[in-house]
Amino acid sequence: MTPIADIGSFNAAREAGMAKLQPAAPRIGVGMGTCGRGNGAEEVYRAFAEAIEAHGLDIRLAAVGCFGACSEEPLVNVWIPGQPLVILRHVHSADAARILADVHQGRIPPDLAWCKIEEWDHITARIRYGAGFPELPQWSEIPFFHGQKKIVLRNCGLISPDDIDEYIAVGGYQALYKVLIDSRPEMVIEQVKAAKLRGRGGAGYATGLKWEFLAKAKDPSKYIVCNADEGDPGAYMNRNEIESDPHSLLEGMIICGYVTGTQQAIVYVRAEYPLAVHRLTRAVEQAREYGILGPSVLGRGVKFDIELVEGAGAFVCGEETALIASLEGFSGRPRPRPPFPAQKGLDGKPTNINNVETWYNIAPIALKGPAWFTETGSARSAGTKVFSLVGKIRNTGLVEMPLGTPLKTFIYDIGGGGVGECSIKAVQTGGPSGGCIPLEMFDTPVDYETLAQLGSIMGSGGMVVMDENNCMVDIARYFIEFTHSESCGKCVPCRVGLDKALDVLNGFTKGAGNSAQLALLDELGRMIRDTSLCGLGQTAPNPVLTTLRHFRYEFDDHIIARRCRAGVCDSLALSPCENSCPLHMNIPRFLGLLKRGRLEDAFESVILDNPLPASTGRVCQHPCDMRCRRLTMDAAVNMRDVHRFIADSILLSDHFDAMVARVADRKLPPTGKKTAVAGAGPAGLTAAFYLALLGHDVTVFESKREAGGMLRYAIPEYRLPKHVLEREVELIRRMGVKFEFGMPVSSAISLHDLDEQFDAVFLSIGTWKESWVHLPGTELKNVIPALLFLEGVASGSVSQIGRRVAVIGGGNAAVDAARTALRMGADATIVYRRERKEMPAIKEEVDAAEHEGVKLQFLSAPHRIVGDPKGNVRALEIVKTRLGEYDLTGRRKPVPTAEVARVECDAVILAVGETIDLDFARGSGLTLRENGTFVVDRFTLETSRPKFYAGGDVITGASNVSNAMGYGKKAARRMDEALMGVKRFQRLSGGFDASEYEAEPATEIARQRPAELAPAMRVKSDAEVVVGLTRGQASAECGRCLRCDVRA
Amino acid sequence: MPQKRISIRIDGELVSTVEGKTILEAARDAGRRIPSLCHMDGLTDVGACRLCLVDLGGGGRLAPACTTPVQEGQAVITNSPRLLAYRRVILELLLTERNHICSVCVANGNCELQALASALGVTSVRFPYRYPNLPLDLSRDRFVLDQNRCILCTRCVRVCADVEGAHVWDVKGRGIYSRLISDLDQPWASAASCTDCGKCVQSCPTGALAEKGKAVEEMVKQTWQVTNAAERKRAVL
Repeated sequence: MTPIADIGSFNAAREAGMAKLQPAAPRIGVGMGTCGRGNGAEEVYRAFAEAIEAHGLDIRLAAVGCFGACSEEPLVNVWIPGQPLVILRHVHSADAARILADVHQGRIPPDLAWCKIEEWDHITARIRYGAGFPELPQWSEIPFFHGQKKIVLRNCGLISPDDIDEYIAVGGYQALYKVLIDSRPEMVIEQVKAAKLRGRGGAGYATGLKWEFLAKAKDPSKYIVCNADEGDPGAYMNRNEIESDPHSLLEGMIICGYVTGTQQAIVYVRAEYPLAVHRLTRAVEQAREYGILGPSVLGRGVKFDIELVEGAGAFVCGEETALIASLEGFSGRPRPRPPFPAQKGLDGKPTNINNVETWYNIAPIALKGPAWFTETGSARSAGTKVFSLVGKIRNTGLVEMPLGTPLKTFIYDIGGGGVGECSIKAVQTGGPSGGCIPLEMFDTPVDYETLAQLGSIMGSGGMVVMDENNCMVDIARYFIEFTHSESCGKCVPCRVGLDKALDVLNGFTKGAGNSAQLALLDELGRMIRDTSLCGLGQTAPNPVLTTLRHFRYEFDDHIIARRCRAGVCDSLALSPCENSCPLHMNIPRFLGLLKRGRLEDAFESVILDNPLPASTGRVCQHPCDMRCRRLTMDAAVNMRDVHRFIADSILLSDHFDAMVARVADRKLPPTGKKTAVAGAGPAGLTAAFYLALLGHDVTVFESKREAGGMLRYAIPEYRLPKHVLEREVELIRRMGVKFEFGMPVSSAISLHDLDEQFDAVFLSIGTWKESWVHLPGTELKNVIPALLFLEGVASGSVSQIGRRVAVIGGGNAAVDAARTALRMGADATIVYRRERKEMPAIKEEVDAAEHEGVKLQFLSAPHRIVGDPKGNVRALEIVKTRLGEYDLTGRRKPVPTAEVARVECDAVILAVGETIDLDFARGSGLTLRENGTFVVDRFTLETSRPKFYAGGDVITGASNVSNAMGYGKKAARRMDEALMGVKRFQRLSGGFDASEYEAEPATEIARQRPAELAPAMRVKSDAEVVVGLTRGQASAECGRCLRCDVRA
Repeated sequence: MPQKRISIRIDGELVSTVEGKTILEAARDAGRRIPSLCHMDGLTDVGACRLCLVDLGGGGRLAPACTTPVQEGQAVITNSPRLLAYRRVILELLLTERNHICSVCVANGNCELQALASALGVTSVRFPYRYPNLPLDLSRDRFVLDQNRCILCTRCVRVCADVEGAHVWDVKGRGIYSRLISDLDQPWASAASCTDCGKCVQSCPTGALAEKGKAVEEMVKQTWQVTNAAERKRAVL
C-alpha cells in the first residue's frame, strides 16, 4: 500500500473500497462482533467460505461488525447488485448452503429475511443499495430499529472493520482531510463547542471546553487519551463500536490531535476485549500504512501517532486519574483533582481524556457542522447516545437514540416489553454507579440532567431492565458487592464505608436487619457519596440510595416481614412456590408426603396451611405455577390440582370425621379471648379457622344466609360445586367456630357493639358492589351486573337471561357470567377493550369458555346499549379500539377508532369489576383510602381503630380468593400476637417428620393434566367441568417436584 | 518569585494568604485546625482520609482542604453539622476497620486517630467491628509493623519514597483488602531497600509502626523531625 498524499490517492482508496462494498457480484457480510461470535457467527462464516470455495461461486464474503440486535444474532447481510441490502437473522451454519443457492439465483430465503436497507446514511456519505423485495419491511419499520438514529453506529455492521478501504468508501477520513485542508484548528474547536457535544463516558462534561484547555496548554508534549476501559456489568457499547468500526475512533482522535496541537495519543483498552484490541491494532497498522498516522498525516505535514495500552481490568481505571496512574505504571488508584489532567495529566503533561463514544461523534460534527448535530437530541444534551439494553427485556441489544427520548420508548417500543408474562418494574441506568428508576417514572426523558435528578446517572449507557422476579434489595446488594470489590482502597469512605454497607445489605437479604440499620444505611450512603475521593466512591451508593427512595417497601418487606416478594433472597423463602403463595403453603411437604402415599399426613399438611384446599384447588390463580423452577425444564408442577386431589380425597370421603378430629387435636388450649369476624368469605373463614385453632372463641357474622362469600355466590357450580365448599365450612365449624347468619355488620350489629363484646375484630366484608359503566342504555331492562347475575343464579332466584347475551369485561366474573349464560341456553359474547393476553381472567378459564362456544371480541369498547321503545335491549354498540401508547402499567392503552360495530343481543352483563360498599365503609368511621378501601398497617393489618383488623378485598379492592385468604391467615397471626403477647402461630403446624418426605430425584414425566368433561356435554348441565387428577396422576405429579426447599 | 497575596474567607472570617497554598495551610496560618490524618507537613498530600473535607459554599460539593489550592475570593466552611457528622462516620469506619484497642496499644495517649476521635466526640461506634486477624511483622531488629493498627494513610509510603528515597513501603490489594507491604510483599527484615532510618515509624499516626521495646503508651512519635528532614531536602532540591 502506498501512503495517501493527495486527493488523487485518497479517491483511489475510496474507489477500491466501493469495489469491495458493492462488488459486481453478490456480497454476503457476516456479523462478527463478539456477540455474533458468541452465537456461532464464526461457524456461519466458515460454512459460507467453504461452500463458496467448493462450488466456485462468484459471491464475495466479508466479516462485518455488529448491527446491534443481539437477540437476533447471528446476523448476516446479503447484497445482490441492484437490490436492497437484506438483513438475515438467526442464521446457522446449516443455512449457508441454501442461502448461497438462493443468492446465486437472485433470491433471498424468506424465512431468514428480517428487513432490508435500500439506502444507508453513513452521515459521512450515503450509500445506495437499490430498491426491490417489496415483501420485506424497511429496517426502520422493525420496532427494534424504529426511532433509532445511527450517528455513532453509522458504520457498524455494514462495513468490514478490518478494511480501511471500506471505511474510506463510506466517507471515512473525509472529515479529517477537510479539517487538515481548511487548516483552521480553532474553528473546529468552536464547532465542537457549538455542537454541545458532551462526554459520553457518563459525566457529560463539554468536550469542546476540554479540547480548548488542551489547545491552550503551552507544553510542547501533551497527550490525548481514549478511555476504552468499559467495565460496567451489562454494558458493551464501546466494545461493539471498536469491534465494528475502529477507524471512526482513530479519525476522531487524529482530528483532535491536529486542532489541539498534540502529537501523541493513547487508547487505553481493556485486555478483556481481545477482539477489540485485535481490530484496533489492525486499524492503527493500516492507518500507518496509508500515512494517516505517522510523521505527516495525509501528507499535510502534521505528526500524530496512536499507541495502544491494554488495561488489566480494574473498574476504577475508568476514572481518568486512576487511568493515568495505570498508564504511568503505578497501581490504578485515583488522585485528587485539582490538578486536573488538562493541567497535569500523564507524566505531568497536559492530557485530554475522552470516552470511546465521544470520539465517534467528532467526524460527523467536523463534516456536517454543529447546527446539523444539535438538530438531534434535547436542548441541553445534543446528539445521540448508544445504550446497551439488557436484562429482563424481549429485544436486547445496542440501541442508539436521540438524547431526551423517554425511558418507556426504550423499554416498550424498542425493547418490546418484558419477557414472558412478567411485568417490568424498574430500569437501572449507568451501571454500578447509576440508580434504579421505577416504572412510575418511565416518562422520564433520558438525558444527563433528568437522570441526575432521579439520583441516577447516564453513565456509559448501560440499561438493565428488571421485572417482578428481581429483588431490589438484592440488586442494591449486588451492585455494592461489585463496587466493594472494585474499590481501590485509597480513601476511607469508599474502602470501609462500602464494606459496612455491604454488611448491612447482606443482613437484609438474609432476614437479619432492623429499621435502625436502614436509617444507618441511608446516612452511610449519603456520606460515601459526598466524601469519597473519586467517581467510583461518589457514585457507588447510587443503587442503594435510589432503591431506598423508590423501593422502600421492598426493604420494609425484608426487614419487618422477613419476606422477599421476588423470591430471590433464598434465606427468606422455603421455595419459590411457597414464596409466591399468598397462604405460604408448604408445597414441597405435601407433595413429598403424597408421593410416599401418606395421604392423611399430606391432608394434614395442606389443611393446616390452607383451610379451603378443595376450593382453592379449583379456583386459585395459582401464582405458584409462574414461579415453579420446573418451568425452566418443561412445565410447572401442577401443585393446585394435587392439593385439590388431596383435599377431595379426605373431605368427600368417610375419612372426613377422623381427619377433622385429628386437626381439632391440634387446637391450643382455650385462651378465654373472644374474637369476631365480619364476613364469612374466604378471608373471614380463614381467619376464623386459625383463631379457633389458636384457642380463641370465634364468632363469624355474615349478612347472607350461608358461608363462603364469593366462593359460594359468585363462582358458578360448574367450577366449584357447592357440596365441596360445604364440607370445608363444616370442618371450620367443627373447629369451634360459631356462625351468625343474616347478621350484616353495621345494620344488625354495630362496630360499637363488636368493640364492647369482643377482644379483637377482623373485618373482611369483601367488595360486593358492581362497578357501573356509564353508558347510554344501562337503564334498560336486562342490563345486569355480573355479580348480581351470578349471585342470583347461585341462590336460585335467576333462572333465565335471554337468548343472546353480551358480557362487558375481561376478568373472571366476565368469563363466569358468560359460561353461566351459556348453560342457561343463551348465546354469549365477551366484549373486551384490550387483547386476549391482557385479560385478567385465569387463562384456562378463558380457553374453556371458548371451547364451550363463548365468543370473544377483543379490542372492542362498549359505546352504547341500543334498546327498543319497550325498554328491551336490542344490541350492544361497540367502538373498535387499537392499541396505542404504553401506559405506566406496561400495557398499551386502547384508543378508540372510528369503527363502530354492533353485537345483537337481548341482555347485557356488566362485569367491569367490583368495589367496596362505600356507604358501609364511610359509616364505619375507619380511615379510608380514596377508593373506599380501609387503610391498614401493611404488616399488622390493624385499622385506624384499636382492636379492629381488616383484610381481603376490603383493603385491596376486588382481588382473588387466595389473596384474600392470605390476609385472613396473616390477620389471625397478628391478632393472636396482640392478644397473647407472644408469637404462637408456628405451634400450629409443627410435628411433621422431615424424614417422611425426604427429597428424591425428580422424574422426567410430563405435567399431569386433570380430565375435563367434553365441551358439548358440559354446557348442558351444571356438572363440574374439571374432573380432577386421578390418584395415580396426583402421585406421579408429586414426583416431578425439584424440591427447591432442600438446601445443600 | 514573590507570591501573590490573596484573600479568602474561612468560616466567615476574612483571611489573607498567598497563592499556591492549600486551604489546610491557609486555615492553619489563620489559627484554625482542620482535622486530618493522612496529611503530614513535608509530605505530598494524597487526600485519602477525607477528614479535612471542607465546604466550598452552599452545602454543595465538598473538597479536601489538604489538596485544594486557595483561590481569590473563596469562601470556605471548615465546620458545620454536616461536616462534623461525616468526620465522625469516617472515624467510626476507621475504628471498626481493624483492631484499634487503645488500652493495649503502644501509641495509647500519643495516637492521632485516638486524639481525633476524642476531640470529635466519637465515644461509640454504630458499625460492627470487623476484627480481622492480621499479622504482626516483628522481623526487623528495631521496628515492628502491626497491620491491625494501620489506617492506610500512606504517610510511611510517602516519607520513605519521597524523603528517604528508598520506597520500601507500598500498598497491595484493593478495597477493604488493601495491605501495607514492604518491598515485594516480603518480611520487613528481608526488604533490602530499607535503610533502617525509622522515618516511617515516626510518621505513622497510630501504633501500626513502632519501635521495638516500647510498652503501652510509650511510643511517642517524633513527627516534627521527619517534617524538618523533608523541608531540608526540599530546600536542597
